[in-house]
Amino acid sequence: MTAALRLIRRRLATSIPVLLIVIVLTFVLLEFSSGDAVDAYLVSIGGGDPAVAANLRHAYGLDQSHLARLWLYLSSLARLDLGWSVAFERPVADLIVERLPNTLLLMGSATALAFGLGTSFGIVAGARPESATDRVISTVSLILYAIPGFWLGLVLNIVFAVKLRWLPSAGLETIASGRTGWARMLDIAMHLALPVGTLAAIYMALFMRVMRASMAEVWRLDFVTFARAKGLSHRRIVLRHVARNALLPLVTMLGLQSAAMLGGSVVIESIFAIPGFGRLAQEAVTQRDTPLLLGIILTSAVLVIVVNLLLDLVYALLDPRLQPSDRSA
Amino acid sequence: MRLVRLIFGTTEGAVGAVLLSLLVFIALFAPVLSPGDPLDIAGPPLLHPFSMARLPLGTDSLGRDVLAGIIHGTRTSLTVGLAAAFAAIAVGVCVGLAAGFSGGLVDEALMRVVDAFQILPGFLLALALVSVAGASLPVVVLAIALGAWAAPARLMRAQVLSIRERDYVAAARVTGMHPLEIAVKEILPNALPPVLTLAAVIVAAAILTESALSFLGLGDPNIVTWGTMIAEGRNVLRSAPFLSVLPGLALVVTVITVYLVGEGVTQALAEGKAGQVDRQGPTA
Amino acid sequence: MGLMRIDLLSRRRLLQSASALVAATALPAWSRAQEAKGGGRLVVAADSEPKNLNPAIIASNGVFFIASKVVEPLAEASYTAPGGLAPRLATAWDGSADGLSVTFRLRDGVKWHDGKDFTSADVAYSAMNVWKPLQNLGRVVFANLQAVDTPDPLTAVFRFSKPTPLQLIRNALPAVSSVIPRHVFEGTDIAKNPANLNLVGTGPFRFAEYRPGEYYRLTRNADYWGKDEPKLDEIIYRILPDRAGAAAALEAEEIHLAAFSAVPLSDLDRISKVPGIQVITKGYEALTYQLVVEINHRRKELSDLKVRQAIAHAINRKFVIDTIFVGYATASTGPVPKNAPEFYDPEVASYPFDTRKANALLDEAGYPKGTDGVRFSLKLRPAPYFNETKQFGYYLRQALAAIGIEATLVNADAAAHQVAVYTDHDFDLAVGPPVFRGDPAISTTILVQSGLPSGVPFSNQGGYENKALDAVIAKAAETIDAEARTELYRQFQKIVAADLPLINVAEWGFITVARDTVLNVPDNPRWAVSNWADTALRS
Repeated sequence: MTAALRLIRRRLATSIPVLLIVIVLTFVLLEFSSGDAVDAYLVSIGGGDPAVAANLRHAYGLDQSHLARLWLYLSSLARLDLGWSVAFERPVADLIVERLPNTLLLMGSATALAFGLGTSFGIVAGARPESATDRVISTVSLILYAIPGFWLGLVLNIVFAVKLRWLPSAGLETIASGRTGWARMLDIAMHLALPVGTLAAIYMALFMRVMRASMAEVWRLDFVTFARAKGLSHRRIVLRHVARNALLPLVTMLGLQSAAMLGGSVVIESIFAIPGFGRLAQEAVTQRDTPLLLGIILTSAVLVIVVNLLLDLVYALLDPRLQPSDRSA
Repeated sequence: MRLVRLIFGTTEGAVGAVLLSLLVFIALFAPVLSPGDPLDIAGPPLLHPFSMARLPLGTDSLGRDVLAGIIHGTRTSLTVGLAAAFAAIAVGVCVGLAAGFSGGLVDEALMRVVDAFQILPGFLLALALVSVAGASLPVVVLAIALGAWAAPARLMRAQVLSIRERDYVAAARVTGMHPLEIAVKEILPNALPPVLTLAAVIVAAAILTESALSFLGLGDPNIVTWGTMIAEGRNVLRSAPFLSVLPGLALVVTVITVYLVGEGVTQALAEGKAGQVDRQGPTA
Repeated sequence: MGLMRIDLLSRRRLLQSASALVAATALPAWSRAQEAKGGGRLVVAADSEPKNLNPAIIASNGVFFIASKVVEPLAEASYTAPGGLAPRLATAWDGSADGLSVTFRLRDGVKWHDGKDFTSADVAYSAMNVWKPLQNLGRVVFANLQAVDTPDPLTAVFRFSKPTPLQLIRNALPAVSSVIPRHVFEGTDIAKNPANLNLVGTGPFRFAEYRPGEYYRLTRNADYWGKDEPKLDEIIYRILPDRAGAAAALEAEEIHLAAFSAVPLSDLDRISKVPGIQVITKGYEALTYQLVVEINHRRKELSDLKVRQAIAHAINRKFVIDTIFVGYATASTGPVPKNAPEFYDPEVASYPFDTRKANALLDEAGYPKGTDGVRFSLKLRPAPYFNETKQFGYYLRQALAAIGIEATLVNADAAAHQVAVYTDHDFDLAVGPPVFRGDPAISTTILVQSGLPSGVPFSNQGGYENKALDAVIAKAAETIDAEARTELYRQFQKIVAADLPLINVAEWGFITVARDTVLNVPDNPRWAVSNWADTALRS
């Protein structure tokens, strides 16, 4: 228990400088780019003149020096204020709270589905390496992983939404349907089926391959030979000994995946018109909205840190021999 | 080289190597296989495949040759993939080596930077950088590399930390070898192999990332990229699906090839190491 | 809960037995909410998501698309009404002989959505506090507006400090004269007023709801001044930023209508053959977009007229119209489009597609081909706003290569492109889509007049200076007599076509694709951005 607490404390301590670096990097990226939020705004309204632009810049504080703006941002952040979004004319925190759950739902479901299916197939493949089943599963997983997500999303959309009409083609739920409770959940589930399916297919391949590879490695280890010598059934060996130990790298994978979550959702949300976090980030870049992008990246970073911390604790549970810090070595 | 023989020993490696050589051949000899500028308008627009001998895979909505696009696109994908992976690994190796070897405060500071880049969503970072710096090939390569260097750095550092304690390194130190010399001559060659297996993954991811960026409209407009072809084919996805399907297939084949080669290398290295273990004895 | 389920099931059985709907078009369960009784609910695709919906401040099509159903202008464009202008909040207008005042008679019995009466005080407030100082287009049209007198609640007299042509005011009315309520905005910080999103207007629809990232919802204004209008109960603007998404949603019957060519031009042929869908090309005549090659005259080669003429000759307009616009455009002859018959002058210098002539001109100008066939290189920046401008960029690159000019394309996003072209002047050639808004003085003369500070989008940032042209523009801005003014703008077109400050290639309107249950589309030349009081759904 104390080891866990020590881990948590140490992780929190190292996270602060990491977050600071993340903020500075993102800030530099957007602030030194060509065009600022006012330029983006002028494009959207089809014109304007320098007087209008100058007024707007002053109103939004864009005429101050970069360092001054960074300092302002950091000081308001210390007060847990994420700032004001120029592009959306609303507090950044509001936008994040609004859009984050959609993406979490999308990516969470996709990851869960991919993890479940991927590990199962991986176990089946890794139970008998080099067998026919293994070959088939491995080949399929290879193809799935090589398919670009946006392409798969497009094709599935055309087949299932437009041609077959089994599922809706875009959006999160039927507009202004006024549904509540189970009816609403079912509606959202149907709208998310295609995007989740697309993402799950790609991620599943990843988990499948990792599970299979780590199982192949574990087979060679001492304690498996020992178990076989003891006369345990093949199935028991697979499930109780091999799979459990092979799960460890998968846990690592999950941690790495969480960082890719935000990026992976951008294209899918665009194709399926899901009002999510990824698209919000893309908007922030196009509109050069620094506070919004910073807020999004920070939220994502904090989530990743938390997820990794939890996974480290899980890792320790799965294999008490190892120190929690070993996972991230 | 023994390594090459080992790679061909595995089925994955063999198939992958053959395909890779084919792709590299196409990429290198693209101007010969398909002379002229692939972005030139070659015929009537939206011509279906196999309807005209001169344009076997048809044309896109502007009238550009699809086959030429696919052939020349091989160059782009392979160049971006290899360049981005090379840059990412080069930077990662240097940083990992420096961190693992120095230890202490330098190690801590460098690792925090690595953490930061690992936490930053790679695709989003690439998207932001290309959006603001303009979409040209060098910028795309840089953007992808920035998102990918953290993993090799971390791996390299872990390798360095474990190898540092080995006997032959201690022996080198005792004989008075300069630390830098030790780093380059003793540690680096032994630490590199696992990092190199990561290379295949990075190349494949780079190719997919580049196509996703082009798909979102952020590709270099002066060269052909498969992602841009798919994006433009999207407007006519229902009436001319081949415009999106064919470049998509090319992408899938390329990425599979890279993976197969990667698998081959991994397995070859594992077997080679197994051989080495036997020879070196209990110190390994 | 259980009762509701039974209710749905029996409803479904009822619907299926009703022979009105053909089985093929039976809507799947999840979209049943869109079937409507009575007026109906129109679901429309929106590709942009304006945060500020106030059309009095932001006179842009993206805003009008949603806001013009809620906030009305003084007059709207029309196919049939005299002068092409139909009364909305103003019933009559007249200009004084000296051009120093314009009198509007306003409509009686109009109420704001919050119940208060619409009066001339609202018009005066809107004009003096919003159109003139804040609106992007109004700053040009009402530059000389001095005051607005309101002798009675139904009369507004606009007084100008310099003679202002009535012709200009009239042509500009649909776009610049959206009236907002004084009692909501007076005394507040106009830019930050929440009524910029939660619009309060006089229009046929009220603003009901905005769900960010998802939709805007407008509901019927039962107290609308128009008899038997509006015909619809609700309008939903579904935010679909992806163009392919709009086409798919239309076919899957999730939306009824996609305007502004949300369905890509290349897909129109296929979608027009899908049963239940109609392709409508009319309704955008007053919103003509122009495909223009912007030229940076600071570049020595481009400051030479022969070079510019050569480039003009190198462009095959027919190819552009047929292939890039799939036939849904016309070739331009000059800065005023053909569907502005009031001003259009066809008698101008022309540049037919002739590569040989182009090459000859370049040789004459003193730029021979090098050993690699290249005379000189240029940086070409196509605007990223439309697929067609990007495709034209690809085409232009090849067209220039054919005459020995090597063009490098630059792909930047909207904000970066804006800054690069209009502020930093970091371009040699650019492809832009300016809009002709009914009168050359509104947003067309600014494309070629000199003396503008940098940072003004969609203006002459190429450093072009032609004193004769500037003089014509300045004079026309002050000429009251409509005929004399029109004649001046004919001269304007002749000079521009001859001296080529920019190259007009093509002009296009947009396409609306709708399900054939949508009626009365379009009923005026600015249909998509006008009120939709007349639009109905066939049940």
